[in-house]
Amino acid sequence: MNKTNSNVSTHALIDSATSVWGKYLLGMFALALPGVLLYHDAHWINIIAFTYLMAGVAAAWNIIGGFGGQFSLGHGVFFSIGAYATARIYISFDLSPWLITLPIAVCAAAVAALISWPTFRLRGPFFAIATLAFNEVAFVLANHFDSLTGGPRGLMISFKASLGNMIFKDRWQYAILMFGFVALVVAVSVALRRTRLGYYLLAVREDEDSARASGIDVLKVKLQGMALSAALTSVGGTLFAMYLRFIDPPTLFTLPEVGVKFALISLIGGIGTIAGPVLGAVLIIPFENYLRAEFANSLPGMSLVILGFLMVMAALFMKKGVYGLLLDILQKIKGKKGDAP
Amino acid sequence: MDQILNVLVVGLLLGGIYGLVSIGLNLIFGVVRIVNFAQGELVMFGMYGSYFAYNQMGINPYLSVFIVAPLVGLLGVAIQRFVIQPLHAESNMQIFATFGLLMMFQNIMLAISKGEAWSVGGTMGTLVWDIGDIKVSVVRFISFAAVTLITIGLHFFLKQTIAGKAIRAVTQDKRAARAMGINVERTYLITFGIGSALAGLAGVLLTPIYAITPGVGGNFILAAFAVVVLGGLGSVCGAYIGGMIVGVVEAFAGFYIDPVLRSAVWFLIFLIVLIVRPSGLMGQVGAEEVGFREQN
Amino acid sequence: MTAMLDIQHASKHFLGLRAVDDVSMSVKKGEIVSIIGPNGAGKTTFFNLITGQLAPTMGDVVFLGQKVNDLAPHQRAKIGMGRTFQISKPLIAMSVLENVMIGTFKNESSMNRAKEKAIEVLETVSMLDLAGKRSGDLTLSQRRRLEVARALALEPQIMLLDEVMAGLNQSEVSQSIELLQRLHAQGHTFLIIEHNLKVVRAFSERVLVLDQGRLIAEGSAEEILNAPEVIKAYLGEGHQWKKS
Repeated sequence: MNKTNSNVSTHALIDSATSVWGKYLLGMFALALPGVLLYHDAHWINIIAFTYLMAGVAAAWNIIGGFGGQFSLGHGVFFSIGAYATARIYISFDLSPWLITLPIAVCAAAVAALISWPTFRLRGPFFAIATLAFNEVAFVLANHFDSLTGGPRGLMISFKASLGNMIFKDRWQYAILMFGFVALVVAVSVALRRTRLGYYLLAVREDEDSARASGIDVLKVKLQGMALSAALTSVGGTLFAMYLRFIDPPTLFTLPEVGVKFALISLIGGIGTIAGPVLGAVLIIPFENYLRAEFANSLPGMSLVILGFLMVMAALFMKKGVYGLLLDILQKIKGKKGDAP
Repeated sequence: MDQILNVLVVGLLLGGIYGLVSIGLNLIFGVVRIVNFAQGELVMFGMYGSYFAYNQMGINPYLSVFIVAPLVGLLGVAIQRFVIQPLHAESNMQIFATFGLLMMFQNIMLAISKGEAWSVGGTMGTLVWDIGDIKVSVVRFISFAAVTLITIGLHFFLKQTIAGKAIRAVTQDKRAARAMGINVERTYLITFGIGSALAGLAGVLLTPIYAITPGVGGNFILAAFAVVVLGGLGSVCGAYIGGMIVGVVEAFAGFYIDPVLRSAVWFLIFLIVLIVRPSGLMGQVGAEEVGFREQN
Repeated sequence: MTAMLDIQHASKHFLGLRAVDDVSMSVKKGEIVSIIGPNGAGKTTFFNLITGQLAPTMGDVVFLGQKVNDLAPHQRAKIGMGRTFQISKPLIAMSVLENVMIGTFKNESSMNRAKEKAIEVLETVSMLDLAGKRSGDLTLSQRRRLEVARALALEPQIMLLDEVMAGLNQSEVSQSIELLQRLHAQGHTFLIIEHNLKVVRAFSERVLVLDQGRLIAEGSAEEILNAPEVIKAYLGEGHQWKKS
């Protein structure tokens, strides 16, 4: 094999594994810090746990929505598959959620592939509408099959704390669980970005014809990305069910609260990046909590008005999200340093 | 037999409502080529506008059309100018932006109305004509008549007026239209304005039929997407006929199977049309690839 | 010698418009064939029929001895069709090297081998110094070169280039011609669409002329480029090629 005799270091051209995973560990450490510091504060640790969960699900959405460029507004469907299946099987068969999380995630992946196969032929906005419609249909089905889902009344999991039940007495224990989840999803994202599938997803996002000309089976790549994303989202749904211990159709299918929120978080944080979804969750979930508490009685829905406004602003002015903004600022600073005599 | 006729009538009247909501959406779809997720909320504003006109100023709800529809139309022009136009090539960001508007509009009204459902008083909503054994709801019939008139009017507007011809030209081929000297951006503004005004008008006509809540737009938006796709991009008559078809299918499915399946009906129609015949029944634009044909 | 690429009576009709009308042609291994013709003549549509973006209304595309009508574009890329597009769309968020690696994944599953292959390709097109640059920051001429690199990364049997010189200035054109000649010397086969007749003259063995979807002339570069109609249409009457 001929060695190139250029003096360009081939190792520096792509971030090395050590630098990437090093950044990952640093980021995860920073993320864990608030949890560690505030674990005893019931109010804050609840927000933190929820932030971790949402960060993880947003990062899962980001795999197909950010890397792959397929804006699914229907991820609530996979989230609720995780939630409902876990709750139903736990209640009826007393099986530990730890055992059933993975099989349920696989089922969610299968459902995702099935429903995406016809809809991936649709271009951008039509694809989004189709995913929206899936959410609607799932909502109707959840209300209808009440023997499985409890119908409009929902399902309730009684409190019986034990590690095997994934039910914990203290909230900080849930926070650890949620942190494990976001750490997992982000790790998957980091690894994915460096594999062939990751590259192919990015190529598909950029230009499908160009991707095909490079030998990429676009539909297969989209389906694989969607399946992975759905499986991870479903795990989030499992954790959600075991945390709240009460789920019903409005909780799971209200778009601005669930399906669209995953996308919103990624957009505001930085769509298509690895840190973006996490950053987005950290910025939005506590803020939204504050807004809801402030305005619950005086101006109901105010939190969503502001979130909607942020969504419009981000789409117009901050497409790269807060993370992208920070990177740009960093570049400018570096640039200025370079110019200094 | 009577049963079938009754269901058919219900379906057609429902189709009239869907047609009302969809015509504006179809116009916007066909010309500006964007999915206006907030279209249902424009209908909602029409309803609230009519309510305020009635409550605060004593204006007959039907007459308030002349104030409310133009106001909603102006809002539409503002949306196109400040939100859609800057995002003209980025369909993914358009999805976010219009969905963000949806959230804003719904929840602003939620904050204002504090979650109460309002309705325009009076018994008009309950009036029913008896034609033989068939019952026809008066207010729904008015909607049906209105959408028929609007469709005819719009059809002539598009065929005979200069603005209308410009709209049709841009629908067919934006680049060619620009080459012929048509101001495409202004056509977008006009179209969004008309499409939004039609949504506002639909809202006003629907006040006697539906309770006015912030989320009322959600009742229509998915059905409207199905209607637009079925009728075909850019075809006003297509939206009219598509509305009828969706309404009738939904009525029959609801009667013989389960009313709660309506969203499944919309969704199936949407999907089947896009896979089998993407240009819809009467689409002006032949979508060679499934979904939109991109115009750059 | 059997042709590498053989197009038999290909036609593409759109609602009564004959974008491509009964065109037959072939390309042998190692040949350089150019397609010229006025705007709207159907050249890119013809390319789309070859690479599979469009299905022919009639006719067959035969590549390396097999009929490929039923193969999707990505499958045709896999069996050896490398293609560039008129409007180049690199993956702007990724580096030049990563862009090229996408193509190498066809034959290499290991990331390291893919990277090494991509580096070789970049060396071949003289872009190695730009390997780490974000491809969104490239100049037009560099983007075009990247397009060629991405096609090369597939280790293709044939290179289909669609107006790869469009928008380049004279010195950039010369550099590009030099690159293509180098690739040809390495054994590559070319079918190119080109507007710039000077490019066609410097880099073609056979020339096909398409007009309104039909193949109206075919011959050696020498014959076609000196035909009075061609000169009149492109260069103005009385033009004389400089001796070079």
